[in-house]
Amino acid sequence: MMLARVADSLYWMSRYIERAEHTSRMIAVKLESMVEQTPEDAAASWTRVVAALAGEPLDLDSGDAFQTVQALTFDRHNPSSLASSLRFARDNARQVREELSTEVWENLNRLYLRIQSVTIDDIWVHNPARFFRDILDTLYLLDGMIDTTLRHGEGWHFLELGRFIERAQLVSRLLDIHFGVAAPGYVVMPPQPKYLDWIVLLKFCTAFEPYCKVHTAAIAPERIAQFLLFDAGFPHSVRYAVDRMRDALARVAPGAPPARRALCERLSGRLKAAVDFGQIDDMTSDAIDAFLVDIVKQCEQIHDAVYAAYIGYDAEAVL
Amino acid sequence: MQQGVLPHTEDFGGLEAGSLPAGAHVDARPGRDAPYKAYDLGKAFDEMFAPDGVVRAPYQALHARLATLDAEELKRRQQACEQSFLHQGITFTVYHDTKATERIIPTDLLPRIVTAQDWERVERGLKQRVQALNLFLADIYSEGRVLKDGIVPRKLIYGSKHYRREMRGLAVPHGAYVNVCGTDLIRNESGNFVVLEDNLRVPSGVSYMLANRDVVRRAFPGVFRAAQVRAIEHYPQQLLATLKSLAPFHEDVSIAVLTPGVFNSAYFEHTFLARQMGVELVEGRDLLVNDNMVYARTTSGLKRIDVIYRRVDDDFIDSLIFREDSTLGVAGLFNAYRAGNVIIANALGTGVADDKAVYAYVPRLIRYYLAEEPILENVETFLCREPRQLSHVLENLDKLVVKAVGESGGYGMLVGPHATAAEIVSFAEKLKADPENYIAQPTIQLSTAPTFVEGGVEARHVDLRPFILHSDETRIVPGGLTRVALKRGSLVVNSSQGGGSKDTWVLSQ
Repeated sequence: MMLARVADSLYWMSRYIERAEHTSRMIAVKLESMVEQTPEDAAASWTRVVAALAGEPLDLDSGDAFQTVQALTFDRHNPSSLASSLRFARDNARQVREELSTEVWENLNRLYLRIQSVTIDDIWVHNPARFFRDILDTLYLLDGMIDTTLRHGEGWHFLELGRFIERAQLVSRLLDIHFGVAAPGYVVMPPQPKYLDWIVLLKFCTAFEPYCKVHTAAIAPERIAQFLLFDAGFPHSVRYAVDRMRDALARVAPGAPPARRALCERLSGRLKAAVDFGQIDDMTSDAIDAFLVDIVKQCEQIHDAVYAAYIGYDAEAVL
Repeated sequence: MQQGVLPHTEDFGGLEAGSLPAGAHVDARPGRDAPYKAYDLGKAFDEMFAPDGVVRAPYQALHARLATLDAEELKRRQQACEQSFLHQGITFTVYHDTKATERIIPTDLLPRIVTAQDWERVERGLKQRVQALNLFLADIYSEGRVLKDGIVPRKLIYGSKHYRREMRGLAVPHGAYVNVCGTDLIRNESGNFVVLEDNLRVPSGVSYMLANRDVVRRAFPGVFRAAQVRAIEHYPQQLLATLKSLAPFHEDVSIAVLTPGVFNSAYFEHTFLARQMGVELVEGRDLLVNDNMVYARTTSGLKRIDVIYRRVDDDFIDSLIFREDSTLGVAGLFNAYRAGNVIIANALGTGVADDKAVYAYVPRLIRYYLAEEPILENVETFLCREPRQLSHVLENLDKLVVKAVGESGGYGMLVGPHATAAEIVSFAEKLKADPENYIAQPTIQLSTAPTFVEGGVEARHVDLRPFILHSDETRIVPGGLTRVALKRGSLVVNSSQGGGSKDTWVLSQ
């Protein structure tokens, strides 16, 4: 038995952990690659990072890395900052403490307490990227603990569901921004990504080395899109995320009658078909944009269907 | 890492008593030698030192061990312990202005030790007391013999805000109203354990008892092993057995802990107990009542709930019957309870028996229901509702502790010897205006126990809250929560007022 409220908290805890991981990695990679860029290129690249991470445009000077990192990391009023993501993840975890192992809870709680006690000034003087790499390592450790110390029961499948819906959306959005298409609210986009920007995009998704193994170091935007969207074996590809999402969906709410499961299954099947048979080669950039926007939308529909079927359902109707 | 050593174990080297390093000061005296230089032996019974400064037998190993540690080392251990609590999230939330801060309840590393002999009497006394209290509750919610016989004044019961008329004529399993009881004991000047109060509604603190054991055992592994301390870790299993025994009607009993939610100061304890028992932790909004059955909203649909270990007060548990503004409970729960479709532990209406005025009658209740003499005495108590006792109280306000009958947590009380003249005058007015609402007790010097304070070990006042489980049988794990008043000289041990806690070691022989 899994309480609907508990499933809700686990799902969101996992989404926020995924978001925190994505945020830390993007900032770390960005800080590390800055030294190789001209100030103009670095500013353009920061603009893409902000567009990918912030729900709404932030009032920032894109040339100011200090200010940007502060806003994306420590600003508690920015709901998509790293500190906010960790706070939301931890708040959700605290409400389902009894569902988590001691390892998972304490690791997350320690991370939360740590980021509470650090300021941008503490990290900025010496190698700020190092701070984000440390956070990232802790988050990878947390992933491992979630995998290896929790029973893979229904609660764990809700964690999987949250993680991979979030991942599919984050990667799709990131790709969309690199293919030169305006994100909502971002009217003026920076110039076309340059050679280094494509490498940075791969590194944002831990994909540089895996990509080179498949396609050699020949950097081509279409191949990068192909890889990040459709590679079946790479954990940060959209297709991989969709497969894991479907596995999780098949295992949550085992006692729910088929009629209540139908919509979730149909929607996730449709999304799977899109990423299983998609092809980038013959797409224009407008078509790529439309495709990516559609994937994000389909993920939102799946989220809504899960809530309607398993979490926010009308109790009177099922008595 | 060596096998079998926990990575976060930072012990002192696990020295056994008797194998002390050279230079250890084994006869360190209070008020004279480090680390006991600032240790005052006052009027109170001291757990570690006899009045002449000689170490009492059960404390000898700990005393010797402490004499070999410098204050820096103790401080480092204390900080490590606080970190551990913070990381585990064993915190309570303090609200001031609009900001909520999470704080730990300070745990003092030095254990409080109870001998096997003392414990044996305490255990018998508590069982006796809980049995009498349950018989009393069964009586006042049915025939009311005790009232007809004039043992307890009718008005005291029927006038109590905790008396639940709705409970009259309702049978509870095994006649057990109080399934979890936390009784506060103190040691008086002569070292005898006496009862200060009973907590029969939703007593808390048991998770601290277990968490303290966990850290203190790691801080003093050598002394712990040598002392042969009795285990307390089976409390969750005992609680589960107690809850199961309340629902004999089928095998696959579904049990839930009902919490007011994450903002409650005891939330950690609720999650802890649910996790340790392997049962669901539910909030009011997870449950609904249909056709007098209680269901939980699960992802797969609705699931029946048979037993609710509730950590929500009577007033908030069902907005249809009690406080209608409550969002913490479950509308319709009481009717399901009345219909016998769900068991609630503790039963509703138990608060009438832990009223501070009823407390004064408990020794008489033990004699009345069990025809036995009370094994554990009460603290001498004056009922201000009786005119002769009231005038005695008014004349001696500077010597007495006066408590409001319906309050808990140390609120609404006057500690005479520590009060200013102005405070006494204003309290006397309150008392005269509403005497039935107050009781008074002599200021009892709660016993003192060695407590780590910055720079050394000092005497601080302590009490003891053991937890008694009661259904078809009565179960007590050997130990309890020792609360300690961390302020020098303070007698108030409540966590809301600067109290901390200690691990309690009941020795097996």
